[in-house]
Amino acid sequence: MGLSHAPIAAFRQGAIGALKLPAWIVGASLMGVGPLARDVGFPFLGAILSTVLVWAGPAQVVFFATLGAGASVPAIALAVTLTAIRLTPMTASLMPHLRAGGASRATLLAASHFVAVTTWVESMRRLPALPPEIRLPYFFGFGAACMAVATCFTAVGYALAGEVPASIGAGLLFMTPTFFTLSLLRGASIRADWLAIGAGFALTALFGIWLGPAAALFLAGLLGGTAAFMVERAQSEEQ
Amino acid sequence: MNASDWLTSNVAVFGLLVGAAVIPNGVWRWLAVLAAARFDDSSPIFAWVRHVATCLVAGVVAQMMILPPGALAAAPPWLRWAALCLAGLAWLLARRNVFVAWIAGVCALMAGTALL
Repeated sequence: MGLSHAPIAAFRQGAIGALKLPAWIVGASLMGVGPLARDVGFPFLGAILSTVLVWAGPAQVVFFATLGAGASVPAIALAVTLTAIRLTPMTASLMPHLRAGGASRATLLAASHFVAVTTWVESMRRLPALPPEIRLPYFFGFGAACMAVATCFTAVGYALAGEVPASIGAGLLFMTPTFFTLSLLRGASIRADWLAIGAGFALTALFGIWLGPAAALFLAGLLGGTAAFMVERAQSEEQ
Repeated sequence: MNASDWLTSNVAVFGLLVGAAVIPNGVWRWLAVLAAARFDDSSPIFAWVRHVATCLVAGVVAQMMILPPGALAAAPPWLRWAALCLAGLAWLLARRNVFVAWIAGVCALMAGTALL
Protein backbone atom coordinates (compact mmCIF):
# COMPACT_ATOMS: atom_id res chain seq x y z
CA MET A 1 0.00 0.00 0.00
CA GLY A 2 3.07 2.29 0.26
CA LEU A 3 2.66 4.03 -3.08
CA SER A 4 -1.09 4.44 -2.75
CA HIS A 5 -0.71 7.23 -0.22
CA ALA A 6 -0.06 9.64 -3.08
CA PRO A 7 -3.36 10.99 -4.49
CA ILE A 8 -2.45 10.17 -8.10
CA ALA A 9 -1.73 6.56 -7.22
CA ALA A 10 -5.05 6.38 -5.36
CA PHE A 11 -6.88 7.87 -8.34
CA ARG A 12 -5.32 5.21 -10.57
CA GLN A 13 -6.10 2.49 -8.04
CA GLY A 14 -9.74 3.58 -8.05
CA ALA A 15 -9.88 3.62 -11.84
CA ILE A 16 -8.35 0.12 -12.03
CA GLY A 17 -10.77 -1.14 -9.39
CA ALA A 18 -13.67 0.16 -11.48
CA LEU A 19 -12.34 -1.36 -14.71
CA LYS A 20 -12.17 -4.83 -13.12
CA LEU A 21 -15.98 -5.07 -13.40
CA PRO A 22 -18.21 -2.25 -12.08
CA ALA A 23 -17.45 0.24 -14.89
CA TRP A 24 -18.58 -2.31 -17.51
CA ILE A 25 -21.83 -2.86 -15.67
CA VAL A 26 -22.53 0.87 -15.43
CA GLY A 27 -21.63 0.99 -19.12
CA ALA A 28 -24.03 -1.80 -20.03
CA SER A 29 -26.80 -0.15 -18.04
CA LEU A 30 -26.34 3.21 -19.79
CA MET A 31 -26.07 1.58 -23.20
CA GLY A 32 -29.86 1.42 -23.22
CA VAL A 33 -30.01 5.22 -23.01
CA GLY A 34 -28.58 5.49 -26.55
CA PRO A 35 -31.47 3.81 -28.38
CA LEU A 36 -34.04 5.61 -26.18
CA ALA A 37 -32.53 9.01 -27.06
CA ARG A 38 -32.37 8.14 -30.74
CA ASP A 39 -36.00 6.97 -30.72
CA VAL A 40 -37.25 10.39 -29.59
CA GLY A 41 -35.06 12.27 -32.10
CA PHE A 42 -32.45 13.49 -29.61
CA PRO A 43 -29.07 14.24 -31.28
CA PHE A 44 -26.02 11.98 -30.75
CA LEU A 45 -24.05 14.60 -28.81
CA GLY A 46 -27.03 15.28 -26.54
CA ALA A 47 -27.37 11.57 -25.74
CA ILE A 48 -23.69 11.34 -24.77
CA LEU A 49 -23.88 14.55 -22.74
CA SER A 50 -26.86 13.16 -20.85
CA THR A 51 -24.64 10.35 -19.54
CA VAL A 52 -21.82 12.74 -18.55
CA LEU A 53 -23.99 15.50 -17.06
CA VAL A 54 -26.98 13.63 -15.59
CA TRP A 55 -25.13 10.43 -14.61
CA ALA A 56 -28.20 8.58 -13.35
CA GLY A 57 -29.79 5.84 -15.44
CA PRO A 58 -33.37 6.14 -14.11
CA ALA A 59 -33.39 9.93 -14.57
CA GLN A 60 -32.14 9.60 -18.15
CA VAL A 61 -34.68 6.91 -18.99
CA VAL A 62 -37.51 9.04 -17.59
CA PHE A 63 -36.21 12.16 -19.37
CA PHE A 64 -36.23 10.52 -22.80
CA ALA A 65 -39.45 8.58 -22.21
CA THR A 66 -41.45 11.66 -21.12
CA LEU A 67 -39.87 13.73 -23.89
CA GLY A 68 -41.00 11.09 -26.37
CA ALA A 69 -44.49 11.11 -24.88
CA GLY A 70 -44.75 14.83 -25.72
CA ALA A 71 -44.69 16.22 -22.19
CA SER A 72 -44.05 19.89 -21.35
CA VAL A 73 -40.68 21.03 -19.97
CA PRO A 74 -41.92 21.48 -16.34
CA ALA A 75 -43.61 18.05 -16.45
CA ILE A 76 -40.37 16.44 -17.64
CA ALA A 77 -38.34 18.23 -14.94
CA LEU A 78 -40.81 17.09 -12.27
CA ALA A 79 -40.73 13.46 -13.42
CA VAL A 80 -36.91 13.52 -13.48
CA THR A 81 -36.58 15.08 -10.05
CA LEU A 82 -38.86 12.44 -8.50
CA THR A 83 -36.52 9.66 -9.68
CA ALA A 84 -33.53 11.54 -8.23
CA ILE A 85 -34.67 11.93 -4.60
CA ARG A 86 -33.00 8.60 -3.82
CA LEU A 87 -29.63 10.26 -4.56
CA THR A 88 -29.88 12.30 -1.34
CA PRO A 89 -29.60 9.45 1.21
CA MET A 90 -27.01 7.75 -1.01
CA THR A 91 -24.82 10.86 -1.26
CA ALA A 92 -25.30 11.79 2.39
CA SER A 93 -24.26 8.35 3.65
CA LEU A 94 -21.03 8.56 1.62
CA MET A 95 -20.04 11.92 3.09
CA PRO A 96 -18.41 10.69 6.34
CA HIS A 97 -16.09 8.53 4.19
CA LEU A 98 -15.35 11.13 1.50
CA ARG A 99 -14.67 14.01 3.88
CA ALA A 100 -12.48 11.92 6.20
CA GLY A 101 -9.34 13.32 4.56
CA GLY A 102 -10.43 16.93 5.11
CA ALA A 103 -11.93 17.89 1.74
CA SER A 104 -13.39 21.35 0.97
CA ARG A 105 -17.09 21.92 0.35
CA ALA A 106 -16.44 22.59 -3.36
CA THR A 107 -14.48 19.34 -3.77
CA LEU A 108 -17.25 17.36 -2.10
CA LEU A 109 -19.88 18.98 -4.35
CA ALA A 110 -17.80 17.97 -7.38
CA ALA A 111 -17.35 14.43 -6.01
CA SER A 112 -21.08 14.10 -5.37
CA HIS A 113 -21.69 14.21 -9.13
CA PHE A 114 -20.26 10.69 -9.43
CA VAL A 115 -22.81 9.19 -7.00
CA ALA A 116 -25.03 6.65 -8.75
CA VAL A 117 -26.21 3.23 -7.59
CA THR A 118 -23.14 1.24 -8.64
CA THR A 119 -20.58 3.83 -7.51
CA TRP A 120 -22.44 4.17 -4.21
CA VAL A 121 -22.72 0.44 -3.46
CA GLU A 122 -19.08 -0.16 -4.38
CA SER A 123 -17.76 2.89 -2.50
CA MET A 124 -19.65 2.06 0.69
CA ARG A 125 -17.84 -1.29 0.62
CA ARG A 126 -14.40 -0.15 -0.57
CA LEU A 127 -13.79 3.25 1.05
CA PRO A 128 -13.89 2.26 4.76
CA ALA A 129 -10.99 -0.16 4.11
CA LEU A 130 -8.77 2.61 2.69
CA PRO A 131 -6.68 5.16 4.66
CA PRO A 132 -8.87 8.31 5.08
CA GLU A 133 -6.56 10.63 3.11
CA ILE A 134 -6.77 8.60 -0.11
CA ARG A 135 -10.52 7.88 -0.12
CA LEU A 136 -11.46 10.97 -2.11
CA PRO A 137 -8.92 10.52 -4.95
CA TYR A 138 -9.83 6.81 -5.07
CA PHE A 139 -13.49 7.76 -5.43
CA PHE A 140 -12.72 10.28 -8.20
CA GLY A 141 -10.71 7.65 -10.09
CA PHE A 142 -13.45 5.07 -9.65
CA GLY A 143 -16.17 7.47 -10.81
CA ALA A 144 -14.17 8.84 -13.75
CA ALA A 145 -13.41 5.35 -15.08
CA CYS A 146 -17.08 4.36 -14.78
CA MET A 147 -18.12 7.53 -16.59
CA ALA A 148 -15.56 7.12 -19.39
CA VAL A 149 -16.68 3.54 -20.11
CA ALA A 150 -20.38 4.40 -19.81
CA THR A 151 -20.07 7.35 -22.21
CA CYS A 152 -18.57 5.04 -24.86
CA PHE A 153 -21.37 2.51 -24.26
CA THR A 154 -24.08 5.16 -24.62
CA ALA A 155 -22.50 6.12 -27.95
CA VAL A 156 -22.40 2.46 -29.07
CA GLY A 157 -26.03 1.99 -27.98
CA TYR A 158 -27.06 5.04 -30.00
CA ALA A 159 -25.23 3.73 -33.08
CA LEU A 160 -26.60 0.17 -32.74
CA ALA A 161 -30.22 1.15 -31.92
CA GLY A 162 -32.65 -1.42 -33.26
CA GLU A 163 -29.93 -3.74 -34.63
CA VAL A 164 -29.67 -6.15 -31.67
CA PRO A 165 -31.90 -9.26 -31.33
CA ALA A 166 -34.62 -8.98 -28.65
CA SER A 167 -33.02 -11.55 -26.31
CA ILE A 168 -29.67 -9.74 -26.31
CA GLY A 169 -31.40 -6.39 -25.80
CA ALA A 170 -33.34 -7.80 -22.83
CA GLY A 171 -30.13 -9.31 -21.42
CA LEU A 172 -28.28 -5.97 -21.64
CA LEU A 173 -30.99 -4.22 -19.66
CA PHE A 174 -31.13 -7.09 -17.16
CA MET A 175 -27.42 -6.66 -16.29
CA THR A 176 -28.06 -3.64 -14.08
CA PRO A 177 -30.83 -4.93 -11.76
CA THR A 178 -28.94 -8.22 -11.38
CA PHE A 179 -25.72 -6.44 -10.45
CA PHE A 180 -27.54 -4.10 -8.04
CA THR A 181 -29.12 -7.11 -6.30
CA LEU A 182 -25.85 -9.03 -6.02
CA SER A 183 -24.02 -5.93 -4.77
CA LEU A 184 -26.63 -5.50 -2.04
CA LEU A 185 -26.31 -9.17 -1.05
CA ARG A 186 -22.52 -8.89 -0.89
CA GLY A 187 -22.70 -5.70 1.15
CA ALA A 188 -25.16 -7.08 3.70
CA SER A 189 -23.57 -8.07 6.99
CA ILE A 190 -26.01 -7.38 9.83
CA ARG A 191 -29.69 -8.30 10.30
CA ALA A 192 -30.75 -4.70 9.60
CA ASP A 193 -29.17 -4.84 6.12
CA TRP A 194 -31.26 -7.86 5.16
CA LEU A 195 -34.36 -6.16 6.48
CA ALA A 196 -33.65 -3.04 4.39
CA ILE A 197 -33.16 -5.14 1.24
CA GLY A 198 -36.25 -7.29 1.78
CA ALA A 199 -38.42 -4.30 2.66
CA GLY A 200 -37.18 -2.43 -0.42
CA PHE A 201 -38.39 -5.21 -2.71
CA ALA A 202 -41.63 -6.02 -0.91
CA LEU A 203 -42.84 -2.51 -0.03
CA THR A 204 -42.03 -1.01 -3.44
CA ALA A 205 -44.01 -3.77 -5.15
CA LEU A 206 -46.88 -3.49 -2.65
CA PHE A 207 -47.16 0.33 -2.59
CA GLY A 208 -46.74 0.50 -6.36
CA ILE A 209 -50.20 -1.02 -6.77
CA TRP A 210 -51.86 2.03 -5.18
CA LEU A 211 -49.43 4.90 -5.33
CA GLY A 212 -47.63 4.69 -8.66
CA PRO A 213 -43.89 4.08 -9.05
CA ALA A 214 -42.31 7.33 -7.76
CA ALA A 215 -44.31 7.69 -4.53
CA ALA A 216 -44.09 3.93 -3.85
CA LEU A 217 -40.30 3.99 -4.03
CA PHE A 218 -40.03 7.05 -1.82
CA LEU A 219 -42.36 5.68 0.87
CA ALA A 220 -40.81 2.20 0.77
CA GLY A 221 -37.33 3.66 1.25
CA LEU A 222 -38.41 5.82 4.14
CA LEU A 223 -40.35 3.09 5.98
CA GLY A 224 -38.00 0.19 5.24
CA GLY A 225 -34.89 2.23 5.99
CA THR A 226 -36.28 3.53 9.27
CA ALA A 227 -37.33 0.02 10.34
CA ALA A 228 -33.83 -1.29 9.56
CA PHE A 229 -32.27 1.59 11.49
CA MET A 230 -34.44 0.80 14.52
CA VAL A 231 -33.49 -2.89 14.37
CA GLU A 232 -29.81 -1.94 14.22
CA ARG A 233 -30.15 0.34 17.26
CA ALA A 234 -32.07 -2.28 19.25
CA GLN A 235 -29.43 -4.87 18.41
CA SER A 236 -26.50 -2.69 19.42
CA GLU A 237 -28.21 -1.90 22.74
CA GLU A 238 -28.53 -5.63 23.48
CA GLN A 239 -24.77 -6.09 23.16
CA MET B 1 -45.58 23.70 -26.92
CA ASN B 2 -44.16 20.20 -26.48
CA ALA B 3 -40.57 19.83 -25.37
CA SER B 4 -39.91 17.60 -28.38
CA ASP B 5 -40.47 20.60 -30.69
CA TRP B 6 -37.29 22.08 -29.26
CA LEU B 7 -34.97 19.47 -30.69
CA THR B 8 -34.34 21.49 -33.84
CA SER B 9 -31.40 23.53 -32.50
CA ASN B 10 -28.33 22.45 -30.56
CA VAL B 11 -28.60 25.30 -28.08
CA ALA B 12 -32.19 24.35 -27.31
CA VAL B 13 -31.22 20.68 -26.90
CA PHE B 14 -28.50 21.63 -24.42
CA GLY B 15 -30.86 23.97 -22.57
CA LEU B 16 -33.54 21.30 -22.38
CA LEU B 17 -31.05 18.72 -21.10
CA VAL B 18 -29.67 21.04 -18.42
CA GLY B 19 -33.00 22.57 -17.37
CA ALA B 20 -35.17 19.46 -17.39
CA ALA B 21 -32.63 16.74 -16.51
CA VAL B 22 -29.21 17.86 -15.20
CA ILE B 23 -30.45 20.34 -12.57
CA PRO B 24 -33.63 18.51 -11.39
CA ASN B 25 -31.45 15.40 -10.98
CA GLY B 26 -28.24 16.91 -9.56
CA VAL B 27 -29.93 19.14 -7.01
CA TRP B 28 -30.53 16.11 -4.75
CA ARG B 29 -26.80 15.32 -4.66
CA TRP B 30 -25.85 18.94 -3.83
CA LEU B 31 -28.52 19.08 -1.16
CA ALA B 32 -27.04 15.95 0.45
CA VAL B 33 -23.54 17.45 0.59
CA LEU B 34 -24.83 20.67 2.15
CA ALA B 35 -27.11 18.88 4.62
CA ALA B 36 -24.43 16.36 5.64
CA ALA B 37 -22.05 19.23 6.49
CA ARG B 38 -24.29 20.09 9.45
CA PHE B 39 -23.78 16.70 11.11
CA ASP B 40 -20.82 15.16 12.86
CA ASP B 41 -19.46 11.89 11.41
CA SER B 42 -20.61 10.00 14.52
CA SER B 43 -24.22 11.18 14.15
CA PRO B 44 -26.75 8.32 13.96
CA ILE B 45 -28.30 10.12 10.97
CA PHE B 46 -25.64 8.55 8.74
CA ALA B 47 -26.62 5.04 9.77
CA TRP B 48 -30.25 5.93 9.11
CA VAL B 49 -29.64 7.39 5.60
CA ARG B 50 -27.49 4.37 4.73
CA HIS B 51 -30.41 2.03 5.49
CA VAL B 52 -32.85 4.26 3.60
CA ALA B 53 -30.51 4.25 0.60
CA THR B 54 -30.08 0.45 0.75
CA CYS B 55 -33.84 0.06 0.83
CA LEU B 56 -34.21 2.46 -2.11
CA VAL B 57 -31.71 0.54 -4.24
CA ALA B 58 -33.66 -2.69 -3.61
CA GLY B 59 -36.80 -0.73 -4.53
CA VAL B 60 -35.24 0.47 -7.79
CA VAL B 61 -34.55 -3.17 -8.71
CA ALA B 62 -38.12 -4.16 -7.84
CA GLN B 63 -39.39 -1.41 -10.10
CA MET B 64 -37.19 -2.49 -12.98
CA MET B 65 -38.64 -5.99 -12.56
CA ILE B 66 -42.25 -4.78 -12.39
CA LEU B 67 -42.05 -1.97 -14.99
CA PRO B 68 -39.16 -3.10 -17.22
CA PRO B 69 -37.43 -0.41 -19.31
CA GLY B 70 -37.54 -0.84 -23.12
CA ALA B 71 -36.19 -4.13 -24.43
CA LEU B 72 -36.35 -5.91 -21.05
CA ALA B 73 -40.12 -6.12 -21.56
CA ALA B 74 -39.37 -8.85 -24.15
CA ALA B 75 -38.83 -11.21 -21.20
CA PRO B 76 -42.07 -12.18 -19.37
CA PRO B 77 -42.39 -11.18 -15.66
CA TRP B 78 -41.95 -14.73 -14.30
CA LEU B 79 -38.72 -15.11 -16.29
CA ARG B 80 -37.35 -11.81 -14.99
CA TRP B 81 -37.96 -12.82 -11.35
CA ALA B 82 -36.76 -16.40 -11.94
CA ALA B 83 -33.50 -15.19 -13.48
CA LEU B 84 -32.97 -12.76 -10.60
CA CYS B 85 -33.57 -15.53 -8.03
CA LEU B 86 -31.23 -17.79 -9.97
CA ALA B 87 -28.50 -15.13 -9.74
CA GLY B 88 -29.00 -14.99 -5.95
CA LEU B 89 -28.86 -18.78 -5.70
CA ALA B 90 -25.75 -18.92 -7.90
CA TRP B 91 -24.16 -16.35 -5.60
CA LEU B 92 -24.68 -18.65 -2.61
CA LEU B 93 -23.50 -21.76 -4.48
CA ALA B 94 -20.47 -20.05 -6.05
CA ARG B 95 -19.08 -19.02 -2.63
CA ARG B 96 -20.44 -15.49 -2.92
CA ASN B 97 -18.71 -14.78 -6.23
CA VAL B 98 -20.59 -11.81 -7.72
CA PHE B 99 -19.19 -12.13 -11.24
CA VAL B 100 -20.15 -15.81 -11.64
CA ALA B 101 -23.64 -15.17 -10.24
CA TRP B 102 -24.11 -12.13 -12.45
CA ILE B 103 -23.19 -14.06 -15.62
CA ALA B 104 -25.52 -16.92 -14.58
CA GLY B 105 -28.50 -14.59 -14.09
CA VAL B 106 -28.00 -12.62 -17.30
CA CYS B 107 -27.38 -15.75 -19.42
CA ALA B 108 -30.51 -17.41 -17.98
CA LEU B 109 -32.60 -14.40 -18.95
CA MET B 110 -31.15 -14.20 -22.46
CA ALA B 111 -31.56 -17.94 -23.08
CA GLY B 112 -35.09 -17.88 -21.71
CA THR B 113 -36.10 -14.91 -23.88
CA ALA B 114 -34.55 -16.47 -26.99
CA LEU B 115 -36.27 -19.86 -26.43
CA LEU B 116 -39.76 -18.56 -25.60
